Amino acid sequence: MPLPTDQDLVTDWKSRPAPLLPLLHAFNDRDGYLSDEALRAVSQGLRIPLADLFGTVTFYHHFSRFPPGTNAPRVCTGQVCRFAGGLELLETMRKDGATPMPCAGRCDEPVPVLTGRSVQVGVTVGEFESRPSPLPVANPGGLEECVFAAIRNPGNDTLEGYRRAGGYSGYEGALGSDPENLLTVITDSGLAGRGGAGFPTGVKWRAVREALNPRPGDDTRAGPKSVVCNADEGEPGCFKDRVLMDHDPHAVLEGMALAGYAAGAEIGFIYLRYEYPETADILDRAITEAENAGLLGENILGSGFSFRIHVRRGAGAYICGEEGSLLNSLEGKHPFPRERPPFPVTHGFENRPTVVNNVETLASAAAIARRGAEWYRGLGAGDLAGTKIISLSGDIMRPGNYEVPFGFPLQTLLNDWAGGPRPGRHIQAVTMAGISGGFLAKEDLDVTLDEPSVRSKGSMLGAGGIMVFDDSRDMLEVAHSCMEFFAHESCGKCFPCRIGTQRLTERLAGAAGPGVLAGWSDEVEDIGSVMKATSACGLGMAAPLITESLMRYFPEQVAAHVEATNS
Amino acid sequence: MSDPSSETTVGSIEVDGKNLNFTAGETILEVTRRHGAVSGEPCKIPTLCYDERLDPFGGCRMCVVELEGSHNPVASCARAAEDGMVIRSSTEAVEKHRKTLLEMVCSENRQVDVDPLSGYASQELKELADRYDARSGRFAGKKSGKSREDDPNPFILRDYDQCISCYRCVRVCAEQEGDYAISVKGRGFDTQITVEFDGHLKDSACTFCGQCVQTCPTGALADRKALRHTEVPGEIEKTRTICTYCGVGCSVDILTKGDSMVGVQPAMDGPANHGALCVKGQFAYDFVQHDERLKTPMIRGEDGELHPTSWDVALDKAAQGFLDARDKHGRHSVYAVASGRAPHEAGYTTQKFIRSGFWSNHIDNCSRA
Ligand SMILES: Cc1cc2nc3c(=O)[nH]c(=O)nc-3n(C[C@H](O)[C@H](O)[C@H](O)COP(=O)(O)O)c2cc1C
Ligand code: SF4
Ligand code: SF4
Ligand code: SF4
Ligand code: FES
Repeated sequence: MPLPTDQDLVTDWKSRPAPLLPLLHAFNDRDGYLSDEALRAVSQGLRIPLADLFGTVTFYHHFSRFPPGTNAPRVCTGQVCRFAGGLELLETMRKDGATPMPCAGRCDEPVPVLTGRSVQVGVTVGEFESRPSPLPVANPGGLEECVFAAIRNPGNDTLEGYRRAGGYSGYEGALGSDPENLLTVITDSGLAGRGGAGFPTGVKWRAVREALNPRPGDDTRAGPKSVVCNADEGEPGCFKDRVLMDHDPHAVLEGMALAGYAAGAEIGFIYLRYEYPETADILDRAITEAENAGLLGENILGSGFSFRIHVRRGAGAYICGEEGSLLNSLEGKHPFPRERPPFPVTHGFENRPTVVNNVETLASAAAIARRGAEWYRGLGAGDLAGTKIISLSGDIMRPGNYEVPFGFPLQTLLNDWAGGPRPGRHIQAVTMAGISGGFLAKEDLDVTLDEPSVRSKGSMLGAGGIMVFDDSRDMLEVAHSCMEFFAHESCGKCFPCRIGTQRLTERLAGAAGPGVLAGWSDEVEDIGSVMKATSACGLGMAAPLITESLMRYFPEQVAAHVEATNS
Repeated sequence: MSDPSSETTVGSIEVDGKNLNFTAGETILEVTRRHGAVSGEPCKIPTLCYDERLDPFGGCRMCVVELEGSHNPVASCARAAEDGMVIRSSTEAVEKHRKTLLEMVCSENRQVDVDPLSGYASQELKELADRYDARSGRFAGKKSGKSREDDPNPFILRDYDQCISCYRCVRVCAEQEGDYAISVKGRGFDTQITVEFDGHLKDSACTFCGQCVQTCPTGALADRKALRHTEVPGEIEKTRTICTYCGVGCSVDILTKGDSMVGVQPAMDGPANHGALCVKGQFAYDFVQHDERLKTPMIRGEDGELHPTSWDVALDKAAQGFLDARDKHGRHSVYAVASGRAPHEAGYTTQKFIRSGFWSNHIDNCSRA
């Protein structure tokens, strides 16, 4: 088959929703990189000014402007992989044009190497293989689960398999009754966002349902509203959404369709991180299955409700997990975060009311619609409602995804469920919320896994990524790699984060800054406090938790570092 | 600025103990500035990425203010006023953050003090650095931005060593000029103002209107023509006038040092242009003090050369020329094309001259498309 021409590609995508990213990917898939001619064709075809398009393309670190582009391997040098041989691997692969990439969401199985549309894992050259995402082990505490309840069933990733465990029955039930009933169930279940911010899901869906269309003069409630599944999962140390999408894709689709029905939306997008190419195929296959079964499409099951889902791949930008940035990215704009308020529930995709939910939130909603609010609430410990997936990785015997009840003790997870540290080692620190919650160490490891407990230590649970570092690790090195990540991913919109992440990285590297501890701490604290208070989005607010917790738990290591910088 | 007590008022906010009413869609900063302008106690909230003509952006965070009930301070330039908000604009904590931000900004720049000829807003960073005593040398580290002084155009200096990534230039080009000639490349500390493929302005969609230069708060984008006069002694004086190039009537400030004209800046409050100009109004002023500029009327003599003369002689000569042509070739041998640069009055006079002077309606205007 002859390769498609520029014009073929443009014509193919031009009239579809959110066309910029998939069109650029189409050129990328054809050529391996984005040439000047490609950008000119896209600019003309989608009527995006060339300078603007050029700027936007350079924002994404997986878009290459020159060959070999996507054909050159990218080696994960994330916080876990760098200690698992990632740095050495990168060096040996440099001759193949390999470059580093930040955490690629496979910390349970280091080290991922991404080439073209495939991810391979391994530590030594010649021993790589493509493998499905590891399944979670059977719940070590024998506790009842929500999102992992059926995930280990063979064939669960097919429509038939998903149905066997009751899949889509909640959806079918909902379609036969008033959306109000569904909203009530979700609200009563206590389900809150699993993407980090913990906003009550029922409240969000209702806000979109009730939002008037912000187009001037148009005050109907109907209007094209959307549901966006946030599958960007860019947070280092988080790989929970990947396992859900890979092994339970229909749960995510069902959750989206439920959100669509409850909120009155007709169109859904899955914004999937670039580093999960195989997942895109799995989702596309599941969508086709669901469409063929009449579960997605027009007038679903005769209910009058229509809903379609489109997968859109990102292109390498952590900030595109932040919902405003994500929406700008979907719309083909420069992916800076948006000022809030207004929020996506009123001004989302193309300025229309939009539900943005994390993968895990949506998969949970599917289970709740099937089994009820009461059941879900009961899964949490004490008064806390429901469960949370924790992605556990690093210096721990059994890394992987674990579904725990909210309120579960961290120490039990680390030592009983996951086998504790390597023999002869002890846990020096763990990161929280991926790395956005900074470190917990020492007696603060006695927290329970829920926001009130973790936040009382100045950290947060967030999306539930926890990386473990034992006493063999240099915490300055860990902190530096975390801050380097934030600096690499800072979008550059706001001053405190754009300059602050850079300055903190330099100070953690010993590359700049006062050589006296008091002066060093002064600068680091002032930068941290201005970032926390004034940054335009969560990235800049969270980044200084790294330095803050480093200085709190490891003052001697910090002092030695400054001393060494000085000499 | 409209009357704050006008009937479009939809509510009021309290800023530093004063109740200020606001109109639909106004931001906290706009409300505070509008009232400040009227009360004679100007609003002191500092800004760097803000240009009142542009959509709120919220980049520099200099304008943050404390809002009761909000955990973090909010960007007053981007936050719409809501009835009952209680705001403190300059608490100690907020002022400390502003100073830290400025110290951070100074640390990324190679130079904070730039020649005021650079552009209309070029002193904004310098003035804030003075006000907050921010040249402390704290937060030393890598500098940001990479100068493109190699761009060969005669008008705009692209000295991004001085750039603080406020993106006012990019936004003014898109929102005011509608040109989208420049954009932001890369991200984080490495962002860089660019045109497509890192090229030169002359190969881009740029029309050299100069608006990016005039909104730049640091002189990173600077008026190359004006900067030729850096060494001319004397203070810069501004004289408000109207651009003579066309009938739009853009207000401009002519910059002079002593008797020399050293530059042109658009009037931000010009009713016809709100700070916009075109390449001619902005940059094409060298004729004013050009050596070869005509200063008296000239008549071509028998010798074929031009000779200075008086207006009376010159006008008589021209009138005679018109009459001779009419007598020899008839009234339709004379027609007029009015200049697009001419205001209404001059256009009117031109058609009158042809219609009642020659009994002809052969008239046109050069800007007829
Ligand atoms: C820097 C940054 C990155 C984020 N990345 C993600 C992400 O990868 N996935 C996600 O679901 N939410 C992410 N979020 C949170 C989203 O902005 C948003 O709150 C979430 O998608 C809402 O869904 P939920 O209510 O179901 O959690 C991120 C936020 C920030 C500030
Ligand atoms: S905090 Fe960082 S990532 Fe967020 S808007 Fe500011 S610069 Fe961008
Ligand atoms: S001179 Fe005018 S057109 Fe050119 S980049 Fe600046 S604002 Fe845009
Ligand atoms: S060139 Fe000037 S206006 Fe443009 S981003 Fe830099 S400092 Fe701001
Ligand atoms: S003036 Fe408000 S953020 Fe810059």
